[in-house]
Amino acid sequence: MSTAAPERPAGHTRLNWRIRLRRDKSLLLMTVPAVVLLLVFNYVPLFGIVTAFQEYDPLVGVWHSEWVGFDQFQQLFGDPAFWAALKNTLYLSFVQLVLFFPVPIALALLLNSVLSERIRNFFQSVVYLPHFFSWVLAVTIFQQMLGGAGVLNQFLRQHDIGTWDIMTNPHTFALLVTSQAVWKEAGWGIIVFLAALSAINSELYEAAAADGAGRVRRMWHITLPGLRGVIVLMLVLRLGNALSVGFEQFLIQRDAVGHEAADVLDTFSFYYGISTGGYSYGAAAGLFKSVVSLLLIWGANRLAHAFGEDGLYRK
Amino acid sequence: MRSGMNRRSFLSTAATVAGAAAMAPLLSACGGGSTKKAGANTREGLKAALPTYAPNAGAVKPDMVPVRGGSDAATDPGFLSYPAAPPTSVSGVPGKGGSYTAVTPLWGTAPPVGNSFYQALNKVLGVELSMKPADGINYNTIVPTMTAAEKLPDWINLPSWWNSNFNTGGLVGSQLADLTPYLSGDNVKKYPNLAALPTGAWQNGVWGDKLYGIPCFSTSFGVPGATFYRRDVLEARGITADQVTSADDLMNLGKELTDAKRGVWAFDDVWVYLQTAWNVPMNWRIDNGKLVHMFETQEFLEAVDWHYRLATSGCMHPDALAGDVANGSTRFYSGKTLIAGGGLGAWNLSDHQSGIAADQNYRRGAFNAVSADGRSTPVVYMGAAASMISYLNASLKPAQIEELLAVANYLAAPYGTAEYTLISFGVEGVHHTRVNGVPTFTEEGKKDVQATTFPFLAAPASVISNPGGEQVTRDYTSWAAANVRFLTKPPFWGMNFSMPQALATAAAAPNVNDTLKDCYHGKKKVSDVQDAIASWRSGPGGRLKQWMTDNVLDKYGTGQ
Repeated sequence: MSTAAPERPAGHTRLNWRIRLRRDKSLLLMTVPAVVLLLVFNYVPLFGIVTAFQEYDPLVGVWHSEWVGFDQFQQLFGDPAFWAALKNTLYLSFVQLVLFFPVPIALALLLNSVLSERIRNFFQSVVYLPHFFSWVLAVTIFQQMLGGAGVLNQFLRQHDIGTWDIMTNPHTFALLVTSQAVWKEAGWGIIVFLAALSAINSELYEAAAADGAGRVRRMWHITLPGLRGVIVLMLVLRLGNALSVGFEQFLIQRDAVGHEAADVLDTFSFYYGISTGGYSYGAAAGLFKSVVSLLLIWGANRLAHAFGEDGLYRK
Repeated sequence: MRSGMNRRSFLSTAATVAGAAAMAPLLSACGGGSTKKAGANTREGLKAALPTYAPNAGAVKPDMVPVRGGSDAATDPGFLSYPAAPPTSVSGVPGKGGSYTAVTPLWGTAPPVGNSFYQALNKVLGVELSMKPADGINYNTIVPTMTAAEKLPDWINLPSWWNSNFNTGGLVGSQLADLTPYLSGDNVKKYPNLAALPTGAWQNGVWGDKLYGIPCFSTSFGVPGATFYRRDVLEARGITADQVTSADDLMNLGKELTDAKRGVWAFDDVWVYLQTAWNVPMNWRIDNGKLVHMFETQEFLEAVDWHYRLATSGCMHPDALAGDVANGSTRFYSGKTLIAGGGLGAWNLSDHQSGIAADQNYRRGAFNAVSADGRSTPVVYMGAAASMISYLNASLKPAQIEELLAVANYLAAPYGTAEYTLISFGVEGVHHTRVNGVPTFTEEGKKDVQATTFPFLAAPASVISNPGGEQVTRDYTSWAAANVRFLTKPPFWGMNFSMPQALATAAAAPNVNDTLKDCYHGKKKVSDVQDAIASWRSGPGGRLKQWMTDNVLDKYGTGQ
């Protein structure tokens, strides 16, 4: 996966599984809790998918709810609010891919070039911090600063400059949420790239410098190729998650810009499914999202392999 | 600090919990829905099942006596001080030593099991009542697990806004005991404190012409909310509430009060409680014997139009327009907004204290009900007279039911009596002490008594009492007295009926309500709301209306 991983030993005969089991006993034991958690919280709840094909009634339970086949999906695909939410999701995902994705990479490169340990630590702490804020807090800070009665607009108003509608403008909502995401998550996102950077053999830089390569050339020929595997992996994961652009962030700001601009698939499931008691309808929307996500991640992984990268796993 | 639990203090708790349900008047009248259930009530059957009302002769005389309005409407009595020597209301010990379990919702920290307050109360009640408060936030999912296993406790509170979650209509008779033989008509006279609960409140416990539920925190002033204003700020500028007699007056006042450069905007959200000024029906109206939904009325569109103009007038706080409801009261306390709609539960002592903390002149006032044109008679639609209803288990023997009803009678002892003092404040010297005559919790009292448990089984009719904040009681009661004559019962008032899940979703009309909210926040035009309504009417709205007509209106009438 990472560039630091050793090459697979060629022509090595595989050991008998029993011997391997004995050899890796303690490692396997250590993975058991994680596997159990995965089973209990990720695989067992998959059973709930059946509610998407029912008229689920919590009072009678999953076993006794009426079976309606694809009725929910039929209704879903005829619902303009659903298509609007899907369109929003894809659009926001695209904007975030273009504007958000490169930021942590650039930050990691920048941070890597800082030599002073103290400045580096300080910078790292500052950019990591917002990740630990909840979305409620993050949005409140934005509202306090940039909202209609916030610091910026109150300053503009007092100086008769005219106000700037940032927080409630549905047309620029995609830019707003992306900048919120950058502020909150970009710092956290650099961790994986920093790890990849530290794995690049420093002798390569020394050799290149000795051969007379400047900073730019070193970055182009050593750093970026070294990062390529991780970047592609992150891209594949990002594409697989293209339909999950976030939930709380949109839930909180939905009233500010209106449901047409802010509804994404997840909030659609919530508002038009759970909150009105239409559980099956929400489940159908959720299942649709999962199936499309699976196809996306499969496609992105194939693409990565086609380009000779590892993607999610080695072929 | 409040003096015990009354309906209003309960509403302020419930409003935060019930959230959407409390805010959307649309849902409140629709009993709920599920699969098998008891039907609604017939006029005669209901009359036969209801207990006879007999006011409590021994009750403490209020400082502000109730003012009567139309049918079933009256203001709650107001008290300025707590009786120094509480009179006794129940003689003897109600219980006969039986052991029972009780489950009530609890919004807060659960009191310790077997605490000294429970022990003291069980002693005077003469029963072993083991209280099992359950988390109020998840109550709607906790109860169905008990009903599915048919393991309900002996006594349980089922808040009516969750009737559809609980399938209350299907539980009555099978798992919940029929109390008609014990309480209907003059039978209730055996329990004088229960007989003193308003008739309208009992109606919420009647299913299929039989009485099952005991109402808690009942009131004859079921007003959901009002349009509040900062009385201190307006009066300092020589403006009094009675100068506002129409919607235009209100808009003009808003323009006068707004000073955006100083960070002051006149309005916060007002839509929910102001729409009745245009005579928008509470969910339904009957025109020539036919059901008309509020979305279908011209009045609704006019109200939306005014609110759209308000949102775009520059008189509404930008944060309110951004949908920030959570900080609404902070804006009001700090004087950043001066006019705001809200539930009446907000008008109490703790509001007064929070307001004073932000601005020592703070005084909350409410505009009288107005009609938008300033000429027609204003309307205030009555909400439920009780929404916390307790039920007894169907497997109890008649003697046990009588024992528990006697306990209920004790718990319903009116405000200011010795029983009320014990239930609300615990034992004097242990759970409370008198500070300037006001019962005030000790540390032990805060831990054991403050969280509401027993009053969710039975409680007296609500009163207005804010010891230490007499001004609040005076302001509230005089406003209530001035507006009680406008109280009007909406169709299907106090009727228990349940609708299937799919129709409950139709009644919630998420798309219309989303567009509506965007419109009164100035982001969508009235025509967009009209479009949303049109598509709702042609689909779920039409089905909802048909169901209401066939299953409720044609069968049982409007319940008036």
